[in-house]
Amino acid sequence: MNTVAPTLLSNPWKQGAKDALPLLGGYIPVAVSFGLFSVQSGFGVLETILVSAFIYAGASQFLFVAMVVSGAPIWLVIVMTLLINSRHLVYGPNIAPYLQKDVRWLPLMHLLTDQIFALTLTRMPDMTPSDRLRWYVSAGVIAWLSWIFGTALGAIAGEELMQRWPLIGEVLPFALPALFLVMVLPRCTDRRWTITMVMATSTAMLLKLSGFPNMAIPAAAICGVLAYYAIQARPTDKGELS
Amino acid sequence: MSVQTWMILISIALGTYLIRALPYLWMARKLNKQASQGSIGSTPVWLTILGPTMIAAMFGSSLVPVEPSLLSWIATVIGCSATYIVWRRTRSMGYPIVVGVLVFGALVVIFG
Repeated sequence: MNTVAPTLLSNPWKQGAKDALPLLGGYIPVAVSFGLFSVQSGFGVLETILVSAFIYAGASQFLFVAMVVSGAPIWLVIVMTLLINSRHLVYGPNIAPYLQKDVRWLPLMHLLTDQIFALTLTRMPDMTPSDRLRWYVSAGVIAWLSWIFGTALGAIAGEELMQRWPLIGEVLPFALPALFLVMVLPRCTDRRWTITMVMATSTAMLLKLSGFPNMAIPAAAICGVLAYYAIQARPTDKGELS
Repeated sequence: MSVQTWMILISIALGTYLIRALPYLWMARKLNKQASQGSIGSTPVWLTILGPTMIAAMFGSSLVPVEPSLLSWIATVIGCSATYIVWRRTRSMGYPIVVGVLVFGALVVIFG
């Protein structure tokens, strides 16, 4: 059980930058792949970069390019991409209790990706309210710029990069599971939470392996919630089972 | 890009932003309203469970290697074990991730 409070740097800007660094290992290789894919699909370099800057959601960007190139109906492209991003619906309400009343948070919601949400939920409870905005801007902007930078790199020199250093795209993305692991572990404080987290983790992995990558995260998270409530409802007395 | 493609891009960008911002705004207003009524603002219990399970689901999803093979799966298991061991010692985020990536990368490079 982890009862030790994490040691944070006194400067929230530096802490945000430090926390965002592992994200780059996951973001840049995927962004390079997207940049390359988009240019090879017929989009211009500037257009590709703008897609990453404005949409800023990995899977839906790939889908957007693929569907536009295949000539799919407009409404279908919009509905499908937003459907993939709909998992973000629960992120804002989860972190809202940690955000002080400040109108600046509203535009900053653009930076709220899966990974920034996970980082925010892990870090903010241990920060003072005054540090939270600066920490979020630091981590969020670094992650966003790395996504844009990776996209530009992929669009301009992606093919050469992939040929010269093929292992980069294979090794660096491991930073993401490592990052998520150190966020999951402190939650496993008792049997109930451990089973809940294991259930969500294993379900997501199985769904992704079964060819359902886009529904893996929301569906697995719901399975985890159900497991949490199921464990609570389970009678401990053998007599109640019969 | 054609005008039509730009319109699709703007619609998706706006829609994605609203998906991120509106639920936050709703919860912030709800919490403020509860606070102004003298009660302690609280997030629904199911939502506080869903947050951590979303992170666990992201972990599970990210565990599937970019190039699935026996070696990459073994490297994933050993890389996660290394991350866990360093986390147990340091209870920090940075070092366990660096060690995990180095161990994973070393296995892929040496045996790949």
